[in-house]
Amino acid sequence: MTMIGLEIHCQLTKLESKLFCSCKADYREFEPNTNICPICMGIPGSLPLLNKKAVEKATLIAMALDCDTPPQIAFFRKNYFYPDLPKNFQITQLNADGYDKTSIGWEGKITVDNKKIRIRRIQLEEDPGRLIYEGATERTKVTLVDYNRAGTPLVEIVTEPDFENPHHVRNFLNILSDLLENLDVSDPGLDGAMRADANVSIEGGSKVEIKNINSFHDLEKAVHFEITRQQSLAERKIEIIQETRHWDDRRKITVSARTKEEEEEYRYHLEADVPWVNIGSKIKNELQVHMPESISIKKERYVSKYGIALQVADVLASDKYFSELFEKANNETNAKDIANMITTDIMGLLDTREKREISKLEAGHLSDLAESIRSNKITRASAKLALDEIIKNGKPLSQIMEDLNLGHISDESTLSDIIVQVLSEEGKAAKDAKQNPEIVNFLVGKVMQKTHGKADPELTLTLLKKNLGIEL
Amino acid sequence: MKNLVTEEEIAQVAKLMKIEIEDHSEHLEKVQKMLQYFDILDEANVESEKLEYVGIEMDELRDDRYTPYDKKLLKFLKTYKEKYIKAPKLS
Amino acid sequence: MNLSISALDYQTSIKNGDFTVEEFISKSIEKINSVEDSLHAFLLRLNDLALEKAKEIDHKIKSNQNVGKCFGMPISVKDNICVAGYRTTCASKVLEDFIAPYTATAVDRLQSEDAIIIGKTNLDEFAMGISTEYSAYGESKNPWNTDYVPGGSSGGSAVSVSANECVASLGSDTGGSIRNPASFCSVVGLKPTYGLVSRYGLISYANSMDQIGPLTKTVEDSAFLLNIISGIDPNDNTTRDEKNQDYLKNIDVGIEGKKIGIVSEMTSSEVLSDEVLRSTKDAIKTFEGIGANCENIELPMVPYAVAAYYTITSTEAGSNLARYDNIRYGYDFDSEGFEFNSYISQARNKLGPEVKRRMILGGFVPSAGHAGKYFLKALKIKSKLISELKPIFDKFDFLISPTVPIQPFKFGEIQDPVQFMKIDYNTVTSNLTGKPAISVPYKIVNGLPIGIQIMADSFKDHSLLQAAYALEKTVELPEVPI
Repeated sequence: MTMIGLEIHCQLTKLESKLFCSCKADYREFEPNTNICPICMGIPGSLPLLNKKAVEKATLIAMALDCDTPPQIAFFRKNYFYPDLPKNFQITQLNADGYDKTSIGWEGKITVDNKKIRIRRIQLEEDPGRLIYEGATERTKVTLVDYNRAGTPLVEIVTEPDFENPHHVRNFLNILSDLLENLDVSDPGLDGAMRADANVSIEGGSKVEIKNINSFHDLEKAVHFEITRQQSLAERKIEIIQETRHWDDRRKITVSARTKEEEEEYRYHLEADVPWVNIGSKIKNELQVHMPESISIKKERYVSKYGIALQVADVLASDKYFSELFEKANNETNAKDIANMITTDIMGLLDTREKREISKLEAGHLSDLAESIRSNKITRASAKLALDEIIKNGKPLSQIMEDLNLGHISDESTLSDIIVQVLSEEGKAAKDAKQNPEIVNFLVGKVMQKTHGKADPELTLTLLKKNLGIEL
Repeated sequence: MKNLVTEEEIAQVAKLMKIEIEDHSEHLEKVQKMLQYFDILDEANVESEKLEYVGIEMDELRDDRYTPYDKKLLKFLKTYKEKYIKAPKLS
Repeated sequence: MNLSISALDYQTSIKNGDFTVEEFISKSIEKINSVEDSLHAFLLRLNDLALEKAKEIDHKIKSNQNVGKCFGMPISVKDNICVAGYRTTCASKVLEDFIAPYTATAVDRLQSEDAIIIGKTNLDEFAMGISTEYSAYGESKNPWNTDYVPGGSSGGSAVSVSANECVASLGSDTGGSIRNPASFCSVVGLKPTYGLVSRYGLISYANSMDQIGPLTKTVEDSAFLLNIISGIDPNDNTTRDEKNQDYLKNIDVGIEGKKIGIVSEMTSSEVLSDEVLRSTKDAIKTFEGIGANCENIELPMVPYAVAAYYTITSTEAGSNLARYDNIRYGYDFDSEGFEFNSYISQARNKLGPEVKRRMILGGFVPSAGHAGKYFLKALKIKSKLISELKPIFDKFDFLISPTVPIQPFKFGEIQDPVQFMKIDYNTVTSNLTGKPAISVPYKIVNGLPIGIQIMADSFKDHSLLQAAYALEKTVELPEVPI
């Protein structure tokens, strides 16, 4: 039986400031070493100042993952030397000998693919800085450090080895991403906002840790590779060593990391500069009350209240950006239409964060579109064109319909005139159409072309058949 | 007879703490004596003692606000090309 | 104009126009220049800055502007406390070129009241020591007899006040580092309740116990300074509310009817030298003479306190000093061509021998195989000591003992590490429990000072100062011979 466990690090990118100081939590736009202060740089004499919202958001995550939360939390020092650590220790949480459970969440669970995945522990900790390498060759390479990221708030989520295969892992990560985004604690799409390590064992054998995985895509690959590697060793009756391996992104394999990692001695002890913090039931109740609606509840609501198809509701509820758009745009009567428009057309058009960021589409546009389609002012085909334009320039629908000449032609006499025109242009087709029904469709297409998609397709077909004397 | 900490163990710990001790014997002797003195801790009979801590309330914590540090901290640090901190090569 | 003047008397004199700030500062600088060669209290003298500030304050006084309570009095600051723009070395070579980018809250509050920081004083490297012999920049000398140590780790601070180089000093106390040199140099040294004074800007040694505190000529002066430096600081989450106490108010109320516990473990003949024992017995009589009821009490955890203290502080120091890898700041030593681990070890080779030993201890006692035996046990002893004191402080107002079991000793006299550690025997209890304690100069015997220590319950610093004041009033001591 394959057993896979995960250790996920998630940045709380929705916070304004770092975990222990007032520097910006999102460091991405800064020049190197300009988002720093004496605290996150560990300047002698500086003291950490715990971010209240970080504790709240971490508690939210713990509750959303059905964890126990302790009455008091505390922080510990994990001591080791590394250039990306300004203090040469990391302030983190831990269950150390002699202390009761002190990290933000314990023993939770989440269901993935109908299987219960147990969450062992959730803890708050600070991110280290980043190492950059400069220099052409191995010999001239210089290790440079940018501390902008040092102190960024992280939530570490540790699962039990309950995953059975890489696909299972992937689904969990997607669910977790959606959950975190929905809770408004993190934007998982940001570069580096979510990282994960895995541990893999087969047939109850040695557990192998895999580190240095840079994306969820790679995680699936790494786990898959590792399972295969272990299986092949087992087949040849070779012992699987318990060790830490690194994911080599270039060669797409896991390699044994230097055993230095196993020798680490972290000398965990209490971080005396951060007092213990009481997390009373009052706080938890308040958080519970203000907790955003969960994805599953939202999905149920979409189905029961708006009558939206289950599959559509599933897709829509899982996506924060589009579910918010839906909530703003719909007026209950057009809910199904809006939902379909989003899932069928818009999701495809705004499939990346960059596209969403520059999109000028607003809820008002959607409700206008839905209304116009319903009242036959515009065909579905034209609506698609309109959407494209709206996304680009945000102009009101009426303007765009004028600009692009997208009005819906459903007036019989106008259409008949156009049909007559087309039939005279396509003489051969007109003759053949009486015998071959396929050709009728071709003619409908020509009418659509001539009207730039504005002609009502059904009416066109009816009128054409009438004109040609074909049975309706 | 209490086990004295060996020279090897001390060398190992020194390496962990990134401390060079060339004059092993002076430090070795003093550290051994200090650790030997710490054996007295065993006589205190405090096994059953529970560690308790007074906590502070959530509203005593810092508000989540971004305030850029107003001084150029880099001026006080050892910088490389005025932007980065240079670290020795990692093995 | 007498440089031995107290802070409060200085304040009165300036207000009366007896002399100007500039005159006093100039004279202080003269004094510093004349004694520093033999005493070496200072690592950094800020003479020019001080004179400049003095002129500014005189001008403010002349033009009837608002002047801060300190009226330009010269105050020295231990060199492990940051003052922006100036080297803060912790008496270590690894911070030889470290310029502090910000000022410690306690210093900032003094400067806001127009105190003049006249210089940074010497200490045992990173505050680890009891005699200032472990400074990497040379020892400081006891002004009562320069063959003898001034105590530590705030040795320079105590010397600067004792020798009248300045009016007061800010030191730090983790295991006795304010009280010990105060006792050895015959000045008042106060370690406030943990959390009363902000540690922002104090370079950490053992952060669960470090506290900044004043060294002064009189008890009133300590109260005066405590009023200024204490209080919640948003930059230090371990500061606690002291409910706006005025520590000078009713300081002379006396201790009639108060109950005093004599800590038997700290006053026994096995622990104390003969002279100190005699002075202690005398002090007890004095306390009774001014109306207090004295009684022997027992604190069974005290004999384990030193071992517990050194176990915990080594662990914390091992962590607090890890950042000194010379990569971001430190001293001039290029990392070009070096591999990471070997560079750091070489850079940290500049740490002094005592610091190195604490680093090794600090790596050992909390490590996975040994934490249960050492570190965790030490934490439990700390916890038990706190609970032992609860019923004691329910019954007693103060506890007393001599500050240090022995009188000042000669340089190089104490080599055995266990003997060295035991110098802190009487002082570590208040650090482990976070409770306030003060050393009051009591006797000069054979030309060397002896101080008496008074301890009180947490946040009873006000009462503590009242008791210290009452004791001080009974004492008449000679002038320092320098």
